[in-house]
Amino acid sequence: MPSELPYAADAEESLSYDELQVLRRQYEKEVAQSHVTVQTTFNFAWGLVKSPVKDDQVEGVKLLGELYRNEPARRRECLYYLALGHYKLGNYEQARRFNDLLLGKEPTNLQAQSLASLIERKVTQEGYIGMAIAGGAAALGTILLAAIIRRAHK
Amino acid sequence: MASSSRRKDSRAPLDSLAEGSSATSRLDVVSKAILAPFTHKKHESSKIFADLAPVIMTPRMVNAAATVSGKPRHVESSSALTRPRVDFATLGRAPARFGLGTRRITSRDLQIVEASEELLGEEIPEPEGVAQDVSLIRGFNATIPSSDKSRARRRQTRNVEAPRIGLKKLGMNARGLLADEEDHEGESVASEEDVVLVGRPESRGRKLRPKRKGRQSLSAGKVFGTEELKRQTHEIRRDKENLHVRRTLLSNEISEIANKIEALDALRVKLEQDLLKLQEDELELDDELEGVKERLDIEESTSRPPKVRTSLAHVPQSSRRRKGLPILLFCSRIALTPIYPSGPVFLPSEHDELPPGVAFMASHTGPITALDFSEPYGTLVTASQEDPQPRVWDLLTGEEVGRLKGHRSTVKCIQVEDHICLTGGEDGNVRLWDLRRVDEDDDWDKESELVSLSEIAEEESVDEFGSRSQIATNGNGNVRQGGSEAESSSDKEGACVRVLEGHTKAVSSLYFEDDCLVTGASDKTMRQWDLTTGQCVMTMDILWAISHPPATGPGGTIPGHMFPGAAAAAGTFAVPTPPYADGTWEMYQDFVGAVQFWGYALMSGSGDGAVRMWDMRTGQPHRTLLGHTGPVTCLQFDELHAVSGSLDKSIRIWDLRTGGIVDTLKYDHAVTGLQFDTRKIVAATGENPIKIYNRTSMQHSSLMTNGHTRPVERLRYMDKYLVSGGRDSIVKVWAL
Repeated sequence: MPSELPYAADAEESLSYDELQVLRRQYEKEVAQSHVTVQTTFNFAWGLVKSPVKDDQVEGVKLLGELYRNEPARRRECLYYLALGHYKLGNYEQARRFNDLLLGKEPTNLQAQSLASLIERKVTQEGYIGMAIAGGAAALGTILLAAIIRRAHK
Repeated sequence: MASSSRRKDSRAPLDSLAEGSSATSRLDVVSKAILAPFTHKKHESSKIFADLAPVIMTPRMVNAAATVSGKPRHVESSSALTRPRVDFATLGRAPARFGLGTRRITSRDLQIVEASEELLGEEIPEPEGVAQDVSLIRGFNATIPSSDKSRARRRQTRNVEAPRIGLKKLGMNARGLLADEEDHEGESVASEEDVVLVGRPESRGRKLRPKRKGRQSLSAGKVFGTEELKRQTHEIRRDKENLHVRRTLLSNEISEIANKIEALDALRVKLEQDLLKLQEDELELDDELEGVKERLDIEESTSRPPKVRTSLAHVPQSSRRRKGLPILLFCSRIALTPIYPSGPVFLPSEHDELPPGVAFMASHTGPITALDFSEPYGTLVTASQEDPQPRVWDLLTGEEVGRLKGHRSTVKCIQVEDHICLTGGEDGNVRLWDLRRVDEDDDWDKESELVSLSEIAEEESVDEFGSRSQIATNGNGNVRQGGSEAESSSDKEGACVRVLEGHTKAVSSLYFEDDCLVTGASDKTMRQWDLTTGQCVMTMDILWAISHPPATGPGGTIPGHMFPGAAAAAGTFAVPTPPYADGTWEMYQDFVGAVQFWGYALMSGSGDGAVRMWDMRTGQPHRTLLGHTGPVTCLQFDELHAVSGSLDKSIRIWDLRTGGIVDTLKYDHAVTGLQFDTRKIVAATGENPIKIYNRTSMQHSSLMTNGHTRPVERLRYMDKYLVSGGRDSIVKVWAL
C-alpha cells in the first residue's frame, strides 16, 4: 500500500499554539473520561513533536511510545513517527534503530529511506564536530605539553 | 548569515526531497520553522474561541502576521536567538558522546531513551482493520482543527461582502453575520497559509500564482474565476474525504467500545457465578460444621442419657435435593460422573428466625394424597383424594394461584421441578404441566363448574381404565397434545403441556429428571418416558421380575410371597393397611409404591415388599433388596444408602455397596412418606407429628407444635423448609 507517511520536513512545521492547545484539551478530556482514542493521542503527540519547544517534543515522543506499546496494530506507523521524533530531539541512535526496524518491514518506503539518509547525515555531522573538538582539544593539549616540556628543558 | 545559511543547508536536503517544491515554498517553510517560537504564543481572541468549533480556531492569522513581516531578511536576527539553542544542542551532543554534558538532560529524556529500548524489542504485527484503512497521519489531517479551514474559506467566498479573515470575523461568519471588508493582504496571505498547510502535495504547485488575483477578484466582485472554482472543488473533495475518514474512525471506536462492554459483561457473569459457588460452598461448610459439632457433643457426653426432644429448636441442617450422585457403588458396570445440585437454595431473610412450626396452612377438600414444591417460598402443588385437580400455591403469599385441570380422578403422585410439574393419576395418565401458565386459566371458579359438568358427562362414557371415546388418541403410549375435555373452550388448557398415556391402571409413583421420566403403576409395570417426545421408551414388568429373579443377584433368591394377602403373582393387588393413629385404614392398592432413578440406575419399591434395582438400559433388575414384610410405600437413595419405608411400620436403611440392611427404624404405624439426607430422616409415620430421626446422634424427635390434627401422609423438604400434608386435608409448612 502506498505509504502515507509524512516526510521529515512536515515534522519541522509546527502547529500554532492554539491548535496545540485544542489538541491538548481534547486529549485531556478523553483522559478524564478514561477512554483515550488512538487518533486523539496521535494528534496530540504529533502536534507536540512538531512544536519547536524541546520539552514538548520529548513529551510527544513519550506519548508516541505509549501508543506504540498499547496498540500493536499501529506499531508500524508509529515506528516512523518515533524515528522522526527522536531525530528531531537529536537521539540519532534511537532514531536510526526505529527507522531500521521500519525499513526492515517496508524496504521500499520512500519516507523511511529519506529519513535514514537524514540521520546518516546528521550523525556524520556530529562526528565531524566531535572530531573538530577532539582535534582542538588535542591541539591544545599538545601545545600545553610542549610548553611544559620547554619549561622543563629550560 | 553564516548560521542562517548553515541552517538553510541543513534544511536543503529535507526540502529537496519534498515533492513538487518550489524555491519560494521552501523559504516559507524555513521561515516558518524558524519563527515558530515567536508565533508559538497565545492570541487573546483565541482564548475566547478556544472551545468552539475548530473552524473558528484559525491559527493562520497569527502565522500570517508573523510571516508577512518575517521574510528572510529577519531570519538572521531571529535565528540568532534560536541559534544558541540549536548550536548548543548540536555541539553539546558531540561532547556528550565524549562524556561532557552541557545540555540539561531531563529525566524525561532518559525516560524516552529507556522506553525506546524496550519498545524496540516489541513485536510488530501486520496492520489490519482500521489501522490499514486510515493511517494515523490521515486521521490527523482529518481531525485537526485546521482541517475545517477550507470550508470556512469557501463560506467566506460565497459571502458577497468580502470579509476579513480575522478570528472574530470568522466567528461571525459562521453565525451568518456579515462583516466589513478589510485587509486584503491579510486575506491573501491567509489563503497562502491555507494552501500550504492543508494538503501539501497539490497546493504547492498553485502557490502564489493565481491566488492574489483570485482573491482580489473575489473581494472586488462576485466573479469566481475558474481557478477559484477548481480550487473549491478540490477542497470540497478533500473535505469529503476527511469526513469519511472521521466517520471511519468513529465507527471503529464504537465497535471497540461495544467489544469492551461485551467483555466486561462476560466477566461480570463469570464473577457472579463464582459468587454463587462460594455461597454454595459456605452452605456446605455450615452443614459439615454442624455434623462435626454434633459428633463432638456425642463424644463428649457419653454419660448423659439420651433424651428425646419433643420439639425441635432450629435443628441446623441444610439438605438439598440431590440431583446427581456418584453412584459408582450402585452398579459396577455403570460409570457415572457426579453432578452437584445446580444453584444454591436461598432462603428469605426471615426464615431463619421463624420458630419451628407452621408458616402457613393450605386447605384441600380431602386427605392430601401427594404434594411437591419447586423451592422454598416457591410454588407448591398439592393433590387430594376427592379432588382430581391439584392445586397450585404460591408459598410466598400462601395463596392459591390456580388449579391443574385435566385429570379425571385422584392424582396420586406429583413432582415439581422449577416450573415443570408432572402428575400421575388414578386414571393411568401422566400429565406434564407448565406452572407458569397456570395463571392463564383465568377465572377458574367459573371454569371449575364447566369442568365438573363435562367431567360428569364424560365419566359416563369413559371406561374406568382410561380408554377415551370422544377424545382422539394415538394408541398406547403416545402423546395427545394439550389434552383436555374436547368440548371445553379453546382458551383453557394453558397449563397442561402433555399427556402421557400408556398405563392401564393407576399411576402411583413417578420420578423425573431432565427429560427422563419413570412411572410406576398398579398394572405392575414401570414405564420409562422421554419427555421431549412424550414417547414411552421402555416398559419394565415387575411381575416378570418377580417370577424370574435375576440369577446373578446375591439377594434375589426368593420371589416375593412374603406376607399373606399379597397376591402379587396375579390379580389385583390390594393389601389392607395397618390402622393409622386415628384408627382408620384403607385398602392399599399401589403396587409400585415409589420409584427413583439416577442416570441409568433405577430403584423401585413395590407391593411385594422388595426394593429392586434396575438397569434402565436393559430394563432388567439386577438386584433385589428383601427385608420388608409389607408393601414399600416410599423410597429414596443417595450415593451410599437407600432408605425405604413400608406398611410394615418400619423404615429400613440399606447399604448400597453390600445390599445389606444398615438399620431398621420401627414405628407404631405404617410409614407413608419419607425423605432423608446425610444427617436426618424425616418420615410420615401415620401419626400426627412428623418424625425426625437424627442419623448422627441416632435420636428421634418429632414436629408437633401447631401440627396436623390427623395423621401426616406426605412430606417433602428442601434445606430448612418442610412441607407436609395430612389426612386432615391441611398442608403445613415448617421451618426445620
